[in-house]
Amino acid sequence: MSYRKAFIVSNALMLASFIWAFVKDFRAEWRPYQAKYYQMSADVLEKKAAAEKDEKKAAALKVEARKMRSSPMEIKQIIANDLGRFDRCVTCHVGMDEYTNPSLKNDFKENPYKSHPKIDEALVKAHPFTKFGCTSCHSGQGLATQVEPAHGWVKHWEKPMLKGAHIQGSCVKCHGDFENLKGAEIAAQGKKLFSKTGCQGCHAINGWGGVVSVELGDIADKPFERIAGYNFKNIVMDGKELKNEHHHNEWNLQNWILAHLVNDPAKVTPNDPFAHYNAEPIPPSGMPDFTQELSRADADAITAYLSGMTKEEVIPHRYHVSAPPAKEPALSGAAHGKFVFAKYGCQGCHGLDAKIGRRRFNAAGEKQAEYDEKMPEKEQLAQMNLGEEPTLPKLVGTYTHDELIHKIEMGVPASDAKKWSPKGPMPMVYMPAWKGKISKQELADLSTWLRSIAVKDESGF
Amino acid sequence: MPMPALDIEKIKKEIIDSQLWRSVFRGGLWKDTPRDRAGHIIGNVWLHLHPVKVRPRALKWAYSWGMGGISFALYLLLTITGVVLMFYYRPTIGLAYRDIKDLEFAVTLGMFLRNAHRWAAQAMVVAVIAHMVRVFLTGAYKKPREFNWGIGVLLLTLTLFLSFTGYLLPWDQLAIWAVTVGTNMAGATPVLGNEGPLGSLVGMRINNDVRFTLLGGTMVGENTLLRFYVMHCVAVPLVVGILLILHFWRIRKDSFSAAPYEANEEKIDVWPHLVKREYIGAAGTTIFIMIWSILQNAPLEAIANPNVTTNPSKAPWYFVGLQELLVYFDPWIAGVVMPGLIIVGLIAIPYIDTNPKGVGYYAWKERPFANTLFMLGVVMWFALIYIGYALRGPNYAWYWPWESWFMNKPAPPPTWSVFGPKGVGAYSMLIGIPLMGAIASAWMLLPKLIQKELDGKKTMGAFLGLLALWAGVGMAMGKMGAIQGGYLLFFVGASFYFGFVLPQRHIRTLDWPRYLVTMVLVVSTMSVLLKMCANLAFNIKYVLTIPAISMNI
Repeated sequence: MSYRKAFIVSNALMLASFIWAFVKDFRAEWRPYQAKYYQMSADVLEKKAAAEKDEKKAAALKVEARKMRSSPMEIKQIIANDLGRFDRCVTCHVGMDEYTNPSLKNDFKENPYKSHPKIDEALVKAHPFTKFGCTSCHSGQGLATQVEPAHGWVKHWEKPMLKGAHIQGSCVKCHGDFENLKGAEIAAQGKKLFSKTGCQGCHAINGWGGVVSVELGDIADKPFERIAGYNFKNIVMDGKELKNEHHHNEWNLQNWILAHLVNDPAKVTPNDPFAHYNAEPIPPSGMPDFTQELSRADADAITAYLSGMTKEEVIPHRYHVSAPPAKEPALSGAAHGKFVFAKYGCQGCHGLDAKIGRRRFNAAGEKQAEYDEKMPEKEQLAQMNLGEEPTLPKLVGTYTHDELIHKIEMGVPASDAKKWSPKGPMPMVYMPAWKGKISKQELADLSTWLRSIAVKDESGF
Repeated sequence: MPMPALDIEKIKKEIIDSQLWRSVFRGGLWKDTPRDRAGHIIGNVWLHLHPVKVRPRALKWAYSWGMGGISFALYLLLTITGVVLMFYYRPTIGLAYRDIKDLEFAVTLGMFLRNAHRWAAQAMVVAVIAHMVRVFLTGAYKKPREFNWGIGVLLLTLTLFLSFTGYLLPWDQLAIWAVTVGTNMAGATPVLGNEGPLGSLVGMRINNDVRFTLLGGTMVGENTLLRFYVMHCVAVPLVVGILLILHFWRIRKDSFSAAPYEANEEKIDVWPHLVKREYIGAAGTTIFIMIWSILQNAPLEAIANPNVTTNPSKAPWYFVGLQELLVYFDPWIAGVVMPGLIIVGLIAIPYIDTNPKGVGYYAWKERPFANTLFMLGVVMWFALIYIGYALRGPNYAWYWPWESWFMNKPAPPPTWSVFGPKGVGAYSMLIGIPLMGAIASAWMLLPKLIQKELDGKKTMGAFLGLLALWAGVGMAMGKMGAIQGGYLLFFVGASFYFGFVLPQRHIRTLDWPRYLVTMVLVVSTMSVLLKMCANLAFNIKYVLTIPAISMNI
């Protein structure tokens, strides 16, 4: 090719690639949605105009329709400065944009054209879009103007849109009194279940609760980077395995929380009990298996509640609604002791009403076979899984009242446990020291109740 | 009435002869005479860095690869896209990431601009390195072009630094962790870094050493972003611009090309013969970058979070080779001494290469030593980059391309040090320091001291035989596996060939100062191979360790 030809061709190609870039930029994903919305609204207005008998009104409607049809294509955004939100969701969801659709109502059924559901209800009325934006409640990537990135279903967006009931977690962020709030019933149910199941025995929330496992007061901010990929692929939900793909649509925090409630956590986080990859054996997740006690709906409720546990989002104080401290029932003696047991989440490890101890990996117990080094690893794992927390009624009878109080105050360190496999990992779960957390009176009543349910042998002890 | 015929030539002449045209464009009507062509170059401020005439050999694409011109075209492209991007970008940690998202989602052609800037930067690194390789292979750095080669090496370094400072600006996880990896190496500078050898002796702390100066803090933060922004947009481009002028001016003064004169050679006009080639090169580059930018988006990860370390954290790709060296060396060697030696060594090349042959043409046979060693260095640089970039997964463990990163990898076996507090022998360090000194000096001196040229094949055969014997005995005694034996043969064999046989054959006759400088560079290159072998085959962490002054080799 001569240089003259190359000169012409390269110039043409430069121009062509620039036009290509421009066309690609111009054909942004949001444009067809916005165009179709204008068209549909104009059609509706024209129909109204045709049905209108008053000529003046009909003419006005027609003008409105014409205006709507020729509305400029633009990126629309809500700037909620207080909450640091810049939400461009209304670029496609035009029906929810106050400037294009001042009534915020329309008859379209499909997304993204339809208006916000329940627009007349107190919940929506109390949270005007121009002040709260969209992502304050729904999460997602407000700055984005393409479908997948905007809903947060892309790599590297840590907070995708909250699905279904999980959105009630957003109420928890500001409303300290969400338990009495209309619209936050599922999150309220989640909190109840959290407490009933005894989660707080190990997981503190904002400093209130046990210290055995992670504090959940900021669990909604947990970065994906901290969830190991090989754990995430073990999650089975609604009968199917989740995608083993980093930052996939299904790879979100809600699914990670759910995974601990609808799966056996020891299977989700198996770790390395036989030290294949590490110098020391690492036990699987110490969290008990709650799949028998919690239904899928229960698990969703707890997930919704925990989805509101964020410290990262900057929410001004005037947006917070505080709640009066919860009142405790007036009880005394053993009945109060039973209440205290549940209040501090003892059932998380010792079972509801202290009936049966839950799993304690690799702790020596009655159910296990004799330890045998030659046993295949699979059987060893099953045996280690049979280790249990103490079943209290069998145990507390051997303590005096004061001894029992002392024991609860001091706790039992993990290193005190007798291991089933001497080569296996130290049991993860231990009894924390409750001194200073449970008051003197509560402790006394707790001891009274525990001793009252102790199994007595024939001699009466 | 018939239309009066349009006399186009007359109109053209009138326009060109008008005062307005004459004031802007000098020279008269274009007659395509040699005088016109020369006038075009001399009378134009942009073109006058060219000579008027040039030898036809210098124009061949196969000779020059066009890489110098393409590097400059990319520099211009980067300046233009960079200036436009500056309109949209604010260098504060609260706004930087959001501004990048805005470019991506709301600014017209924003994504395209950002992609073009990013990809052009990567392409420029490659183009500059390719330019250097070409200049080396054609011996174009030799007298009288030694100094210009040195400027070129500085320009290469500055290109990498420009790219590196730009890496931080999107303020995402990729950015801060890559820059954290990169700048942590600065903390290991001997004497000037708080973690480097002797650093603590002269009072270096985390808040007053060279890394602190670079970051404007003890970790990558707001100040770092501002510093990198100013360096990226103002300081470094200015220096690069000045050096570029010097570089070009020298090229012109040194008769443009090193291509040797031929009998009856007639020079040809730069306009249009060189200018048209430059234009096509620049246009081709622009098209390439544009199409690449349309098809492929620049990466952007989650917003930077100093509390959440990505696993693995990798430096920008052109520094990943040095990061890969961190597996085998302490940071002060991998991050400071090695790159320092590379830069100083490159600048030194024209002064230690006294071979008068191979100026201006490809001459592998006439310059076997220079070409082999240089290309070995280039291959090692890119091989290490490939390993670090493509084969390293979580915890920097080795993952083959077909292996999932979700697969658990066993922790590496425990390592040991040969000479040091827990090393071999009772007075390990006392033995180790003189022993290593003796080995190094012997290696440096021996090739020159053996006066007679050794038979390459026989020497190599004998050495490999000895190695095989060692490996065989090791395997027979059960102390060595087949893989270890393979490592031993490959790495030690290669070091012996490149570090002993070749110097003995080719640079034995060099004068002592040049010989010693060359050998320092050769032996340092080989030490990389040897240390890799020691680590891979025998799990040796350090050959010599002196914890008191953080000196580990």
